[in-house]
Amino acid sequence: MTVLALSLPVEFEEPAWLWLMLLIPLLAAAAIRSLSGLDAPRRVLAVMARSVVIAVMACCLAGVQRVRRTDDLTVMFLMDRSYSVQALEGQQEDFIREAAKGMPPKDRLGLIDFARQAFLQQMPERGGYYIPAGRLPTMPGTDRTNVTAALRLAMAAFPHDTAKRLVLLSDGNDNMGDVLADARRARADGIPIDVVPLWYEHANEVYFDRLVAPTYAEPGEQISLRMILQSYKAVAGVVDIYANGELVEIPESQRRVRLAPGSNSFVVKLPVRSTVTQSYEAVFRPDEPALDAISLNNRARAFTFVSGGSRALLITSDPNQDRGLAEALRSEQVAVDMKTSEQLGEFDLPAMMSYGTIILSNVPAATFTEEQQKALAVYVKDMGSGLIMTGGDEGFGAGGWIGSPLEEVMPVSFEIKHKRVIPRGALVLIMHSCEIARGNYWAKEMAKKSVDTVSSQDYFGLLAYTYSPGGENWEVPLDVNTNKDAVKKKIDRIQVGDMPDFGATMQMAFTALTSGRGRDAAQKHVIILSDGDASAPSSQLVSDYIKAKITVSTIGIGWGNHVMETVLRDIAQKTGGRYYAAKNPKQLPQIFSKESKVVRRPLLVEEPFRPSVVLPGSELLAGLDPGEAPPPLNGMVLTTAKQNPNVLVPLIRSTSDGEDPVLAYWQYELGKTVAFTSGFWPAWGEAWTRWPKFAKFWAQLVRWTMRQDSLANFDTYTRVEGNRARIVIDALDKDATYLNNLMQKARVVGPDNRAVPANFTQTGPGKYEANLDVERAGQYLVNVQVYEGGRNLGTLRTGLTVPFSPEYRDLKPNEALLRQIAETTGGRWLDGGAARGDVFRHDLPPSEAKQPAWEWVLSWLVLPAFLLDVAVRRLASRLALSICVEVMILVVLLVGAGVHAGPWWSVAGALLFAELVGWTIRYPYIRPMLESLTHGVRTMAHAGERSEAALGQLKTTRERVRGERLAGGEIAEEGDTRGGAVEPPPIPLAGAGRRFDVGDEAAHAAAGDLSEALGGAMASGESGTQPPSARKGKDDAPAEDLTSRLLRAKKRAQREKKDE
Amino acid sequence: MVVPAFHFRREVALLVAFGAGLWGCERAPLTDSGVMGVFGELGLAPGCFHYPRAIAADPRGTVLVVDKSGRIQRFTATGGLVGGWRMPETEAGKPVGLTVHPDGRVFVADTHYHRVLVYDASGLQVGAFGSEGTGDAQFQLPTSVAIDAEGFIYVAEYNGNDRITKWSAGLEFLQTLAVGPIEGRSLSRPTGLVFDDEQTLWFADACNHRLVRLSRNGEILTTFGRLGRGPGELRYPYSLSISPERTLLVCEYGGDRLQWFSKEGRSLRTWGRSGRRLGELSGPWAATYGSNGTVYIVDSMNSRVQILQP
Repeated sequence: MTVLALSLPVEFEEPAWLWLMLLIPLLAAAAIRSLSGLDAPRRVLAVMARSVVIAVMACCLAGVQRVRRTDDLTVMFLMDRSYSVQALEGQQEDFIREAAKGMPPKDRLGLIDFARQAFLQQMPERGGYYIPAGRLPTMPGTDRTNVTAALRLAMAAFPHDTAKRLVLLSDGNDNMGDVLADARRARADGIPIDVVPLWYEHANEVYFDRLVAPTYAEPGEQISLRMILQSYKAVAGVVDIYANGELVEIPESQRRVRLAPGSNSFVVKLPVRSTVTQSYEAVFRPDEPALDAISLNNRARAFTFVSGGSRALLITSDPNQDRGLAEALRSEQVAVDMKTSEQLGEFDLPAMMSYGTIILSNVPAATFTEEQQKALAVYVKDMGSGLIMTGGDEGFGAGGWIGSPLEEVMPVSFEIKHKRVIPRGALVLIMHSCEIARGNYWAKEMAKKSVDTVSSQDYFGLLAYTYSPGGENWEVPLDVNTNKDAVKKKIDRIQVGDMPDFGATMQMAFTALTSGRGRDAAQKHVIILSDGDASAPSSQLVSDYIKAKITVSTIGIGWGNHVMETVLRDIAQKTGGRYYAAKNPKQLPQIFSKESKVVRRPLLVEEPFRPSVVLPGSELLAGLDPGEAPPPLNGMVLTTAKQNPNVLVPLIRSTSDGEDPVLAYWQYELGKTVAFTSGFWPAWGEAWTRWPKFAKFWAQLVRWTMRQDSLANFDTYTRVEGNRARIVIDALDKDATYLNNLMQKARVVGPDNRAVPANFTQTGPGKYEANLDVERAGQYLVNVQVYEGGRNLGTLRTGLTVPFSPEYRDLKPNEALLRQIAETTGGRWLDGGAARGDVFRHDLPPSEAKQPAWEWVLSWLVLPAFLLDVAVRRLASRLALSICVEVMILVVLLVGAGVHAGPWWSVAGALLFAELVGWTIRYPYIRPMLESLTHGVRTMAHAGERSEAALGQLKTTRERVRGERLAGGEIAEEGDTRGGAVEPPPIPLAGAGRRFDVGDEAAHAAAGDLSEALGGAMASGESGTQPPSARKGKDDAPAEDLTSRLLRAKKRAQREKKDE
Repeated sequence: MVVPAFHFRREVALLVAFGAGLWGCERAPLTDSGVMGVFGELGLAPGCFHYPRAIAADPRGTVLVVDKSGRIQRFTATGGLVGGWRMPETEAGKPVGLTVHPDGRVFVADTHYHRVLVYDASGLQVGAFGSEGTGDAQFQLPTSVAIDAEGFIYVAEYNGNDRITKWSAGLEFLQTLAVGPIEGRSLSRPTGLVFDDEQTLWFADACNHRLVRLSRNGEILTTFGRLGRGPGELRYPYSLSISPERTLLVCEYGGDRLQWFSKEGRSLRTWGRSGRRLGELSGPWAATYGSNGTVYIVDSMNSRVQILQP
């Protein structure tokens, strides 16, 4: 900022406040009266100062902004690094490097690369492109092109005070989001998007268009799989088919295919050999790989629901423990499959849909991935299936299920809220900066995840080495984890630094857990997230941990490489924790739910009790005799029944400290769930397994939760076109008449396990269609409830598969879209190398940067003006006042306007200006002094001249007289005597006290006497000096004025007194 | 003309105080800090830094700085960029140690690749030694390199392998100098190797917050320092340098300051405090005396180098 900033225009946010300036004349009028005691210049200054204060305050209220105009330019390059243009990365980098060569020194260049996500690789910086060739970090998620993300990131990363231009290097095959909408936004912001098209064309290509399988099949039925392949040339090859991951044997004649140019269709017949949903995958392998440019698009998937009757799936962590339960169910004719988590295979939603209900028997949350947990929740609420969870030491909250998607669908909350005395756990996280790219990001994500997993009754704390203040700090002090959102926000803001050693933070954690806030915790656990390059803790500290029974788990973040494991492994092993080498970010959530559950041990109750029946009429307790109580149990997991009228709790454990649900159930959206918080046969429920009604009780639970499939018998078909899918229902009744005006409630669950509604509209007689976005490759399940006038006609279930990303289908650039982007935003079409020079052309309107200036105005104008106002009225001396004004002007200019940072001449100018104003103010005060000074000197000089002249005259007179005397005799002596009597006259007393012009008057007197003596001979030397009488009169005037004024005032006062 | 009562001295004093106050609140903290200059700011542009961590002064008057973008940049004594080069690999991590050989070669402790790379003055790699491991001629996260008057090379490392090893001028492994407990405490992250005028080796036992003086044969001559923020106390000393007066300059990463010690361990003075302004430091990894007697401080979190007239 230089002095020039002052001269730049300003704008106001709310100009209405400027009306306050109307107060200025009023104030001025008032001030003239109230300040009448001051002399005129001071009055003017005071009024001016006050006016400035008012005006500036009005400006502040009006939100004054400084507007800076500049024609500096920032160019952001958006570099497409998706699969389709991977081969052209070098070409793109060359373009940017060449363009950077021509950039003016004040312009800035930034780089964003993108595929599925966008990343800022170079902040907008002056001077060029600084990333060496081939050194851009590996791009994750190249299976998509997301121009929108890049545009949004770029618009956020632009500096605000320059003109802006985007240069998009892409093939235009955008397959996420709506680019043109964001392009219009860019245009609204005045940002043109120049487009550099990336040209390519795949001439030899085969891709799997789709695989079509029937939606439903019976076990043992022969189904037809139809394969549709597109080819550019005649190609020979083989097709392999996998069912649920296993290769299906088909005759060689069917396996071997010859593709003609264009669309090719083949049919393979297969028997359905299982009772579970069949997921088929077909893969085409050309004999000559050269005839197929992209191999990722040579596979397609489809699935078929197998109506295997109502089956239940019992997932167990230990088959021995649950064998009794499975057998009991089978004895009641419930079809049940028991599997351990390892036997589940690809356990996605279609696989889950093979079963009507799923029992999770003492299974910890870490058994399932985050996606599988979501799928389980969707399986219940959107697919209308059942879920039963039983306890054990790894069920419910003790199994790390707190905060999981399943907690939402269960009738109990996994946290305990109704207890007076709550056994707490304490978890301390130690975050160490990770050297690898995005290491700290993942560490933070996991920290947030563990905040969720830890119950709100537990202690949570986070330690990190940070820089304000420098050192090891409790970024989240160890305390009860009640405000999870605030803690997560805080974690986002942490700037994790290089921690020299683990000892210091581990010592802090130890102190807090043993003598600080966490000392009463029943379970204490520490997790260290690190890449291992900090120094090991002392052996003394480690043995302290062992003594205090604080376990430490360590997680090495480095994706299999780049982790210094020795120290991490050592700490975990010695303290009884575990070491995890996280191979990829996807593993982290599971590691964390496993680790965080350590602190949930206190949720277990391991003492015998007899459950009490509180809802004897409950449908789940049918068969229980009145007054009969179920057998005792030896343990359970503490939970809290949800406060919802749909939640029924027929069995409880009653204690003096409240009631804990043992059995709770409800219907949640389309599905039904049951929580049985005991279990863990035979350790806790040994008496139950011997109870004669055990089998019946469990069969009742399973049957109640089982999904009720009353399928509406309509034809459906689905079709995927790019990013859109179409679902069509043909509704005919038994008599083949069209069913019109049906209502559909449809939910579509994609590969991300999120359910979204689909809207069906009637497009013809008995024909209904819905369109939906299918942005991810994978399987989509559609669940449609069909209603006719409020009556449910049944459920319709279908599915569709997006075999691979549309990214792998792009055979040439989408020129039309690219041109449209350029046209929409007023950008240019930069095709070919010659266009590089145009990138930094300054043909954009100058940018305006508005900066709020009220703080500046307040501190550098209001304050000085206010002080000036005080100074004007209070500082008695005008000299002091002038210095005050001078200093203030200097301060405002030098510091406020930043002139001190400017060139020397601006500093000198400010100084000069301040001096000028200062001297203007003190001039009236200084003037008389100066005048008298100059006057005295002048008069003395004149006096000298005069005396010489007088002497000359004297001499001439004497000569003349002597001549006369010589002519007349004795008179000469007399004349001499008269001449000898000429002496300096006495100094007149009347003038002695007057200022400094003593000598002047004396000279006058002397000259006057002389002239008298000489008989007016001085007349010629008098010019320039005033006659003494005139001077005297003038000099006395102010004194007389003052005296007479005082006299007059006295008389007036006396008169007024008399009048009273 | 009426001359008002004139309490000249009082009023002028008030005015001066007022002006000085306004002026001072803007600028006072920077005076007397001794900072002569500063160079670098956050960025990838030449002359910018992304978390610089090590500095070395070339006896010919330039200084070299390595940062977390894996670049080694050479600057003039006043901070003008001369040139630079890049580390061959940076995915696993970046170097934290840098030393200039009297013959102009640059030794880089390529910490996360467990080796020392040797470059000629122009940045051409002319040698490398060490590999990952805990045996002889192997390293675990080497932090610092020093060269004695006879050309022997000394390397410090940590991560459970906390020791100092001695190498011949021909880059051959010779012996392990310091390993095992000193005064009852095992070495924890030795770093900041430097030779003084008597050809004894000083280093910082960073996580024990102390300094150690070794003979060239590995005998322990002196140790001093303990954790704290007072004079004579240390918080993660990360780098050492010998002043022209033969005192010891210590850069405290955790203390955000510099401290000078006599060879006997007496604290002579401290400089700096936490912050972002000039004269303030945030996580400084290294400080070194330049050939002109000024001190260059790598102010890591502020991504800059401050030049101090000590």
